[in-house]
Amino acid sequence: MSGIPRRALRAGGVVAAAALVLTGCLQNPNAGSGQGGAGGGAAVVDGGSADGDKKVTILGAFGGDEEKNFNASLAEFEKASGIDVQYTADQDFTTTIKQKVNSGDSPDIGLFPQPGGMLEFAAQKKVEPIDAYLDYDRLQGTLLPGFLDASRYRGRVYGAPMRNAVKSVVWYPKAAYDEAGLPKDPATIQALRTDVADKIAATGITPWCIGWESDQATGWVGTDWIEELMLRMYGPTVYDDWTSHRIPFNDERVVKAFDEAAKFNKDPKMVLGGTKGVLNTAFGDAMTPAFTNPPRCMLHRQGNFATTFYPKPVQADLDNQVGIYVFPKFEGGYDGSAILGGGDLAALFNGNDDDSKKVMAFITSDKFGAPWAKAGGWLSPHKTFDVSNYPNETTRKIADIANKASVLRFDGSDLMPKSIGSDVFWKEMVKWENGQTSQQTADNIEAAWPKS
Amino acid sequence: MTTDTSAAAPRRKMRADDPGASLRANPLKIAIGILGMVGIVWGLANLFLAFGYYPQWFGNKFIIGVLAIVVGVGGAALLFFFLNMFVEGLPRRLSEGAIPYAFVLPGLFFVALMLIYPTFQSINYSFANSDSTAYVGLQNYRTIFADPEFWKSIVNNVLWLLIVPAVVVAFGVIVAVLADKLSPTGEKAAKSLIFLPMAISFVGASAIWGLVYAFNNPGQAQTGLLNAIWVGLGGEPQTWLQIETAKLNSILLMVILIWLQVGFSMVLLSSAIKGVPEDTIEAARIDGASELQIFFKVIIPQIRGTIITVFVTVFITVLKVFDIVYVTTNGAYGTNVIANLFFNKLFASSEAGQATAIVVVLLIAVIPLIWFQIKHFKDEEASR
Repeated sequence: MSGIPRRALRAGGVVAAAALVLTGCLQNPNAGSGQGGAGGGAAVVDGGSADGDKKVTILGAFGGDEEKNFNASLAEFEKASGIDVQYTADQDFTTTIKQKVNSGDSPDIGLFPQPGGMLEFAAQKKVEPIDAYLDYDRLQGTLLPGFLDASRYRGRVYGAPMRNAVKSVVWYPKAAYDEAGLPKDPATIQALRTDVADKIAATGITPWCIGWESDQATGWVGTDWIEELMLRMYGPTVYDDWTSHRIPFNDERVVKAFDEAAKFNKDPKMVLGGTKGVLNTAFGDAMTPAFTNPPRCMLHRQGNFATTFYPKPVQADLDNQVGIYVFPKFEGGYDGSAILGGGDLAALFNGNDDDSKKVMAFITSDKFGAPWAKAGGWLSPHKTFDVSNYPNETTRKIADIANKASVLRFDGSDLMPKSIGSDVFWKEMVKWENGQTSQQTADNIEAAWPKS
Repeated sequence: MTTDTSAAAPRRKMRADDPGASLRANPLKIAIGILGMVGIVWGLANLFLAFGYYPQWFGNKFIIGVLAIVVGVGGAALLFFFLNMFVEGLPRRLSEGAIPYAFVLPGLFFVALMLIYPTFQSINYSFANSDSTAYVGLQNYRTIFADPEFWKSIVNNVLWLLIVPAVVVAFGVIVAVLADKLSPTGEKAAKSLIFLPMAISFVGASAIWGLVYAFNNPGQAQTGLLNAIWVGLGGEPQTWLQIETAKLNSILLMVILIWLQVGFSMVLLSSAIKGVPEDTIEAARIDGASELQIFFKVIIPQIRGTIITVFVTVFITVLKVFDIVYVTTNGAYGTNVIANLFFNKLFASSEAGQATAIVVVLLIAVIPLIWFQIKHFKDEEASR
């Protein structure tokens, strides 16, 4: 070392060190679009886990039995393709997915219970449009009308439905209902009130079973009521204007729909437990008092998934225990047969992983779901799905209601901006149920609508 | 670097028996130190990148986790070893001055990265729009100050701060004093029971208390403990967490936190009380002081420092209270607090601008507290 000037030695060392640090680091093999890393393709998005590792991670909102049935529906596909699908359930999905995606830890596939959150990711270019990897025209041909429109952002569709939910269904306990000799297909909401609800009330039973409680999401059942009534009182055009904010939220028609909903949800003579009961009964437990003898309430408006929450003996003997009819039209309102629907939308975060694409293609096809359909509580969004897979007459009836509907509209709160649809609307519904006026509620939501 | 040391000192002069060696720079040590540090950083960076990019190299996640801990801790130790070697290689005058900085600076750097940078970024974002892409001036502040929910949350936070720390300290002192009078076994059992809730997470505790406050429709069996008692005494079942009168629902939520924190307060205060010298108490007794007088005039002044420490610690916990409100009511029925409002603005509403504005307001509000705590800490140190 002697003879070399210290300064030169030092300078050399620093340069060598810097070169070592700057050149020696690994490059991300999954580098996204533009960078074209070793395993990267030309896809728009590249989140999710590693590509081509025969493992596909999925994050969704449903757990428990639904999770079991989902996995069961995938078992055969996993065996045939050798792909290991790892599903994680998260009750607080809407929040979790946002945290995960924003921190670069997104799953390969997300199952969104609401399109709003997914469209937000579409705007940020975090999800892959389905036309890039699925057969769009074939999907459009077999899906119920209106489903793909719910996940459209600036002309392109970003998610495909994995499950259908028909929300416009009235459930009743069959034995007690038959005994009371009540009509089984009231033509209008007004008739439902005078010919059914009032008659039930006259026998000393509170007619409606309603429960809103749903942890952090408490209030969504209330938003469903408003949507149902908006659709029936004014028809799909006004409904679309309302969900897309072409008319203000505190439009007098909306306020009227709130007042109409109050007749079901806020009148202690009409709903079991009054407003306190509504706010403190879990939505899944709402119908339970209808199965006591004598029933403590008789009418329940809820989606097809309600059956999964019924007591086990009722589930086992569904066709004989419960009856259904479609939630009727509003007299003086829209004349067509409108259905309020919903569903889980599958969206792809990892656009470069062929395994993930295969899983997407499978879960959004009409071949998916037979084991889940057999277990109950699940409806295929495809018209072409084999109805013989449904476990009972009740479910086939619901599928029939959906297939026959001339107009299907997606759950409106799911279409509104996230700050309204999964925050303010829910919270204001709770305040409304707790005593706030319809006008005040609509005004508050209008005031909170994001300005842009 | 000083110039009085010859540029190329021959190696043999650096032997231990050379008294002047440590005064001069030691180029070998400097070189090994630098090379070692660079090598370690380079190796660690690549290893951790490999964890992310090529997880298949390592088998499973468990191995990655263990490796990350072993290599991370070992690497940090080695880094400091080489850093130390580098500093020791410097001439003594420099080396003595540099050593404390060499050990403090890496820590300071990470504190700055994890605390100070995000703080300024938050302040910056609080003037930007909902996805932090364009500045909107003071709009966010105007929006949150006009929002009645914000003021409700502030009032609730103040209530939490006024009630919870005081009650926790009071209960802690009472339990500690009373437990002190029990037999050793009784004291152990009582303290363990009261300390037990400390081991439960906030979310878990909220779920447990959710069962206590549960409501079932009149006529049905009441599964909620409080309603079961209430109905047993002949009352109508109440929706406890919906009763805004006199902020009852907020107070019922505070009970959860008090239940969780009293154990902590008791343990610290109990050991402080046991540390009060027996002779001061005996002296007071001989002077004819009553037990109450002894407690307030002899014991309390001597454990004052611990009381303040417990109070401030609980105060800060309360300031951050979030989980309990989120799990039980999510801020409905007038129980919202700042942290929950912030969380909902950021994650439920995707309003990053308003959310950060709320955080900045909270930050400004805690500055006096931080100042007080530092001052208290300094006073304590000075009085030792």
